[in-house]
Amino acid sequence: MTAQKQNRRYGMSIDIDKCNGCGACMMACAVENNIPPAPQAANDRKGITWIRVYKVDNHRAYPERRTAFVPVLCQQCGHDTPCVHVCPQQAVDVDPATGIVGQMPERCLGCRYCMVACPYHARYFNWWDPAWPAGMEKTLNPDVAPRMRGVVEKCNFCHGRWHAAQQKAAAAGQPEIDAADYVPACVEACPTGAIRFGDLNDPSTEVAQDAQRPESFRLLEKIGTEPKIHYRSHRDWVREIAAAPRPEGKDGLRG
Amino acid sequence: MTTTRRNLLKFVGGGAAGALLTPAPWRLITDAALWSENWPGIPRPARGEIRARFTHCTLCPAGCAVRARCVNSQPVSLTGVKPHPISYGALCPWGIAGHHLPYHPARVRQGPVKEALAAVARAISQRGAGERVAMLDLRPGRTVSWTYRRAMAAIDHGLYLAPRQPAYSVDLAAAQNVVSFGAPLFDGWGTPGNVFAARANFRLVQIEPVESRTAALADVWLPIRPGTEAAIAAALAGETTIAEAARITGAEEEAIGAVKEALGSGPSVVLAADPASPLMSLNAKFKALGHTLIARREAPVPDAWKKAAPINEMAATPDASIRVLLIDESLPGGYVPWQEIQPKLAPNAVVVVFSSSSEGYARHTQYVLPAPVYPEAVEDVGPAIDTVAAVFRIAAPLIAPTVPVVNPGELVARIAGLPQTDALHDRAGAIHKAGRGTLLSYVDGKSTPMKDVKADDFWKTLNQGGCWMDSTEKKAAPGKLEFRASAQQPHDDLPLAVVAAEARRGGLESPLMSKLERESNLRLSANRVALSPADARANGIENGGRCLLETACGRLSVVATIDAGVPAGVVEVAGGPRMADLCGASPRARVVRA
Repeated sequence: MTAQKQNRRYGMSIDIDKCNGCGACMMACAVENNIPPAPQAANDRKGITWIRVYKVDNHRAYPERRTAFVPVLCQQCGHDTPCVHVCPQQAVDVDPATGIVGQMPERCLGCRYCMVACPYHARYFNWWDPAWPAGMEKTLNPDVAPRMRGVVEKCNFCHGRWHAAQQKAAAAGQPEIDAADYVPACVEACPTGAIRFGDLNDPSTEVAQDAQRPESFRLLEKIGTEPKIHYRSHRDWVREIAAAPRPEGKDGLRG
Repeated sequence: MTTTRRNLLKFVGGGAAGALLTPAPWRLITDAALWSENWPGIPRPARGEIRARFTHCTLCPAGCAVRARCVNSQPVSLTGVKPHPISYGALCPWGIAGHHLPYHPARVRQGPVKEALAAVARAISQRGAGERVAMLDLRPGRTVSWTYRRAMAAIDHGLYLAPRQPAYSVDLAAAQNVVSFGAPLFDGWGTPGNVFAARANFRLVQIEPVESRTAALADVWLPIRPGTEAAIAAALAGETTIAEAARITGAEEEAIGAVKEALGSGPSVVLAADPASPLMSLNAKFKALGHTLIARREAPVPDAWKKAAPINEMAATPDASIRVLLIDESLPGGYVPWQEIQPKLAPNAVVVVFSSSSEGYARHTQYVLPAPVYPEAVEDVGPAIDTVAAVFRIAAPLIAPTVPVVNPGELVARIAGLPQTDALHDRAGAIHKAGRGTLLSYVDGKSTPMKDVKADDFWKTLNQGGCWMDSTEKKAAPGKLEFRASAQQPHDDLPLAVVAAEARRGGLESPLMSKLERESNLRLSANRVALSPADARANGIENGGRCLLETACGRLSVVATIDAGVPAGVVEVAGGPRMADLCGASPRARVVRA
């Protein structure tokens, strides 16, 4: 008899008031997921950063200017996931066991509809063949396959680590993974402890409790995609930015 | 119209010629080439036995404990060691990608070792009266620093030079109020894990002209005019009025008053970007000495080492007095601008630099010898400014050097005729003999008093992942604090104050740092500056436009970022050796359109 597995809903909580914008999460992500360094022609529009820390401000001039750092990754939309709907290749799917939005580069034809559809600009296109300086390919993570030129990729909550945790649990005869065995690289690397990860379905987890806090919010909540990344900040202007207020005179627009 | 064979051929020919004018056939050629490539197109990660190894990061004085995930013997990722009582499992972005450095395309891969040794020997034998042989150590406090000091003591007229090190350590855990004059507390100061572990218990007031990463997370950020920190300090010390300080600095009177009140309300510490800044003297006024600013013993050394050369500063060296200068730039450290070094050199001086990067002194010297780079090098890392007890920790190499390298310590010892011994092992023996402190093993997380550890086990644990920590005695005030006033010269034609926005120390950086710079603009890259809209407008500079950063020492072509968060009269730069050489001791500049 096998134990009934509970579906999980993995998510994150990110404390913006703790993030110092050091970029450790971005580096750990690139190392973990075999994301290559930028070719000479890459810039902030063509680079690949599965998690990107944006520097945002309160739109005031010095000395009233105040800055915050917002790490943005795939928001793992839980409802009407836009990229899933538009993909003509079924290269994007939502794993019902984990709630993680997955990307299959082998199926992707590189049409980039999903990039257009993503409201969070969290998908990246491989404009070039992945290339590392001579010798540096020895440092690649054996658990993650590098992606080829011409496909889209994005954060998958370090799926290689999820598989490793599953294998460990299976080897130990456990029906469920130990939560401590599955932690994405960015969470592990954050020196300030601003990023937490866990099962949003389990009310005892820190991340589920964080999501209920009054200062908690999600990016573009009004479009109804039910992101699983919960941010929090005590600063009003930070929360207002996340709601992306409609520009004046643009009331007829959707979204 | 009838379709003739001629018309058909004309149509096909015209269509083919017209198609050549579109991108389609050329694109197809590129794409079709993929199918004829005889390589896999994407690298294939190596597979093998996965195991964990431990070491310490040497990329900055923090020396964070590192757990390396290795495939066979090759490290593929680096993380912190969670239960470590100093670094608390944290690594900075540079440390996370440290295992890429041996493969950096810009690494110094060869050097004229024999020629350099011959030139040094010739210069030592031919030097005139009073001419000196000097060793500049950018990272003092290591065991190899003792080797350099012993070598300079063994050489006639030897001179050991190092950037001034603070004669105190900061106990952040004991502070309730921290007033920082531009110290990058959350971006490269001390040990990141230790600072963040103590963060919840202190209130931080950051006083600096720009909103740095530290200012953004401070409880209070006090924006002031560049170069007016001394006025605030005078008001806090009661030497001038708060109103006068507010007038000079542009800060609000209430805010300065609140800082003064907070400093007197509990255990406090004042920090400055330069640990030898006179601003640090405020600590005496607010009773920090012996409480939050404390003395720290040095880890024991063998008795035979105590006849070493004293530590000198470059500024105190007479001009044109150095005939041979050896520079250890193998680890990033306190870069001394070349403008400060050059006047001290004799006209026919021989300068040899040990470095893995061609960015620092390699640009100025005749002989650049390739040094091992982290994590190839065997080193120890001294305590950081926020480590309250002496520590001894070895950065055990994770891989063998990928290029032929010279060991700076061994080469300098050979030049001085010192016997070739394993200095790290000798020092470990001295620490074991002293018998104080505890040994923490990262493999099992156990902490053992030194009196219960055998000498062989001590050495083995240090090399397999471990750290010796001195016993903490009753807190004592540091000895006499010596300060160095910055000698800023006025330049009427250089209207902008230069502020380093990034904590770059020089040396190689992982190619993956492009994620934080070019691919996201999260950090200023080395060739970018940030300007206020007013200054940009006044100089006709556009966002993303190329411009020239001109200082008293030279000019550099850079790309401008216009940022309303930068105050008028300030230009933010990325820091690093090239910028230090450009700005020298007087960080003033102007930016002109290229």
